[in-house]
Amino acid sequence: MPTRRLILKTGLATIAMPAVLRSQGAGAQGLSGQITLMSYTGIFQDNYTKAVVEPFLAANPGVKVNYAPGGTSAQMVGSVRAQKADPQIDVVIMDVTTSSIGNIEGLFEKLTLAEFPVLDELLPEARAAGGEFGPAVTFDHLVLVYDTQNLKPPLTKLADLWRPDLKGQIAVSAPPNIQGLALTAMVEKMEGGDYRKSIDAAMKKLKELAPSINTFEPNPDGYSLILNGVVKVATGWNARSQLYGDQSSGKIGTLLPPEGSVFQINTINLTAGSKNRAAAAAFVKYALSQQAQKAFTERMFYAPVNAKAQIDPKAVARTAAAPESRANMIPVDWNDILKVRDQWNNRWRREVIAAAR
Amino acid sequence: MTASARLPLLLIPAALFVLAIYAWPTLLLMRNAFNEVGPTGAMVEAWSLKTAADTFADGFTFELTLNSIWLSLSATAIALALSYPLSLFLFRTDSRWKGLLAVIAIMPMLISSVVRVFGWLAILGDRGLVNGLLQSLGLISAPLKLVFNWTGVTIGLAESIMPYMILALLAGFGQLDRTLEEASRSLGASPFRTFMRVTLPLSLPAIALAAGLGFVLSMSAYITPKLLGGGRVFVLATEIFEQATTNTNWPVAAVLAIYTLVLLLALLALSNVVAKGLKR
Repeated sequence: MPTRRLILKTGLATIAMPAVLRSQGAGAQGLSGQITLMSYTGIFQDNYTKAVVEPFLAANPGVKVNYAPGGTSAQMVGSVRAQKADPQIDVVIMDVTTSSIGNIEGLFEKLTLAEFPVLDELLPEARAAGGEFGPAVTFDHLVLVYDTQNLKPPLTKLADLWRPDLKGQIAVSAPPNIQGLALTAMVEKMEGGDYRKSIDAAMKKLKELAPSINTFEPNPDGYSLILNGVVKVATGWNARSQLYGDQSSGKIGTLLPPEGSVFQINTINLTAGSKNRAAAAAFVKYALSQQAQKAFTERMFYAPVNAKAQIDPKAVARTAAAPESRANMIPVDWNDILKVRDQWNNRWRREVIAAAR
Repeated sequence: MTASARLPLLLIPAALFVLAIYAWPTLLLMRNAFNEVGPTGAMVEAWSLKTAADTFADGFTFELTLNSIWLSLSATAIALALSYPLSLFLFRTDSRWKGLLAVIAIMPMLISSVVRVFGWLAILGDRGLVNGLLQSLGLISAPLKLVFNWTGVTIGLAESIMPYMILALLAGFGQLDRTLEEASRSLGASPFRTFMRVTLPLSLPAIALAAGLGFVLSMSAYITPKLLGGGRVFVLATEIFEQATTNTNWPVAAVLAIYTLVLLLALLALSNVVAKGLKR
C-alpha cells in the first residue's frame, strides 16, 4: 500500500520532470533556462526588445528573457537591493549614477576581460563609466524638445528659454531628476561658470526662468506634454526625442543647445548571485556586441559604445556620437554631481521653485 | 474548551495576515531608519541615529510637516463643506432613487486615482474646460493657473476624499432623530434655527468622524500632490517617495515614513478625544 511519503515523492517527481527533461535537452544545445532583464519601460522596452532581445533569443533558442520594466534607475537599484539575498533579476540596464551605487553596495559583479573579450571593442569612455563593473551600453545627451508647429520662431539656443513668449510654456524636470542636474551644469556654463566650482550663476539665471515654467515635474514626460499642447518646450533626452519626432511626423523638434550639453550614460550590469549566470553573461556580451549596438542605434538613436560597430552614418548623425554633438559636450563626472546632488536639490527648491510659486 | 473561549481563535487568520503584510515590513522600515547613506549615495548598514538627527535638523522637514497639515486641513474643509449637505440629503430623501444616488456619490472611489487626476488636468488645465468656459464668456483674457500648484492639488484632493467622507457622514448620522427637529419646528423655530440648534449639533460626531478620515487620507495622499502639484507642492508623502525612488536614500525615506506614521497616530488620537467630547 503506498505510503503518504511515497505519494508525495511521486507527485513532486511528476511536477519536476518536465523541467528536468527540458534542462537536459537544452543543455546539449548550449545555454538554457530563463533570465530577467530589468530596464526602462515604454518605447525603450519596445525598441530594445526588437533590436536586441529578440535577436539574442533567436541565437539562443534555449533561453527565455523576461523583460521586467523597472521604473526609474533608482527604483531599479532599489529592486536589486531588496532582492540581494535572493536575486530574481539577472541583468539591469540603468543610469550610471545609480549603477555606481549598486557597484559600491556589491549588488553587481565585476566583469573581466578574460570572460568578456567584447570589453576590448568598447570606447574608452564606455569602459571607464563602470570601472571594473558593468560598462556603458548606451550614450545619450540632454536636449531641448519643442513644438515645431506652434513655436515661432523655433528654438535655436539654450538662452531662448528666457524668451518672453515662452512664459508658462516650459516643462523642466527639476533635480533630483538627472535632467535637472544636467540643466544646472549647462546653464552654469552658458553663464560663463563651471559647475565644479559653483552653481551661483546658474541659480540666478534659473530663478529668472522660474515664472516661465509650467511644471517642474512633467508627467508622464515632456514629450507627451508638447504633443498634448500643454507646453511648447521641455527638457528631454536625445534618443527619445528623435524617435518621438519621427513618430509625431515632425511635431516634436530636437535641439542640441550650442551652449553645450551633458552626456547621459546607461550601463549594463550583471547581478551578483544571478541564478542563471551563464545566460545572463551571454546576454551582456551580446548587448555590447557590434551587431546589437548597430541594431539599437539605428532603431532608437542612442549613441553606440562599441567602437567597431558599423553604423549607418545617418543614424549616427542623430546621436550623441555625431562629431558636432561630441564637440558640444560639457565634461561632467556624474560621481562628482552625485556628491552635491542634495545640495543642488535644496537650492532648486529654495531658490528656483520658490520663485515660481 | 468552551465556545466562548475558542472565539478569539477566529482572530488568528486576520492577525497572521496583518503580521505578514504590515508588521513585518514596518519593522524592516524601522531597521532602515538606522542605516546611513554615504557621500556616493550607497547605503551603509549601521545602527545609528545620524540619519534621523540630520533629517530633523533640516528645516525642510518642518516645512514639509506644515505643508502636509495645511493641505490636509484645506482639502478636508472643502470636502466637508460639499459632502455634508449632500450626505444629509441622501440620508433624508425618500426618493426611490436613493440607492442609486448614493452609489453615484461614491462612484469616484471606483475609478483609479491616476485617471481621476488626469481628468482634473483636462478640466483645470490652461486649455481645460474651466478656462475655456471663462475665456469664451469673456470673463478672463489669459487662462487662470488652476493646476500644477496648490490650488489644483487642494481641489483634486478634496474631490478624492469626498466619497469616503460621505460614507462616514452617512454612517454617523444615526443619532439624527427627526422627531427632535419636528419638536423644534412645532415650537416655532425657523428651519435655519432648527438646523443650527438641533441638526448640526446632533451631527457633530459624524462630522468629526468624517473630518478625521478625510484628514488622514489627505495626509497620506501621494498621487494627487505628485501629479497635480507640478513639482511645486512638497508634502511628506511626496518627499518619502522622492527619497526612496529618485535619491535611492532609503534611510531618510524610512525616517520620514515613521515620522509621518507617528504624526498621524497622534492626530488620530486627538481627533478621537474631540469626537468623544462631542458625543457627550
